[in-house]
Amino acid sequence: MSDFSTRTTGSGVVVVQPTGRLNMVAAPALRKQLNDIVDGGTSRIVVDLSATEFIDSSGLGALIAALKIARNAGGDLRIAAPTQQVCTVLELSNLDRVLRSYASADSAFDE
Amino acid sequence: MSEYALDAQTGPDTLEEIQRTLEQAWSEGNVADDTKMCIELAVSEIATNIIEYSGDGKPVRLRMVVDVRPDSVAVNFTDDGHPAPVDLARITMPGEAAESGRGLALAHRVLDELSYSRDPDGNHWTLIRRRSE
Repeated sequence: MSDFSTRTTGSGVVVVQPTGRLNMVAAPALRKQLNDIVDGGTSRIVVDLSATEFIDSSGLGALIAALKIARNAGGDLRIAAPTQQVCTVLELSNLDRVLRSYASADSAFDE
Repeated sequence: MSEYALDAQTGPDTLEEIQRTLEQAWSEGNVADDTKMCIELAVSEIATNIIEYSGDGKPVRLRMVVDVRPDSVAVNFTDDGHPAPVDLARITMPGEAAESGRGLALAHRVLDELSYSRDPDGNHWTLIRRRSE
């Protein structure tokens, strides 16, 4: 499976944009991609969820695993622009506080 | 109101086939977006469980039936894998740091009924959500 598109902002934050459905099919690839980004020396990551139409516990697991890896490396993982479905699943799983969402990927590390 | 069924040997495409079957079911009956979202999430969680664990990673025969009723949506799964070691009375949402184990808890939270039984045909899961419209 090919990687999701990434870009680096002016302040050196890597933005990853998963598309489609983050389920057991797509989650392992996202998990590996985020892991590789931290291994490559960047620990400030934004996952732009504006094109993620669906997430389930497999997708949440990939985000939590990457959040821990990024924080262990001295950085953080933040999420931006989640769709309504993603917001609902974050609330249902009580993860909306640990994975706080920001309006846009470019401003997620401004504060 | 009618039923939509899928018979599959589980594999990498199964979740997509399941989602297509749900979308066929949504094409009738004016099911509210909130109801659809809850069913799609619960179905993904239970199907993932069956695909990953019922055959220990090997394919199993799976049958899904979606029943769009006037007052609820019911989804039944049957598979010929080994018994699922679940106790639905003891489902809890794992803590923030857990990387897995949320699937059944999420399904339970968005459904009005979630049940599991085992008989000579295999495993049976029943998922019911009342329609909110």
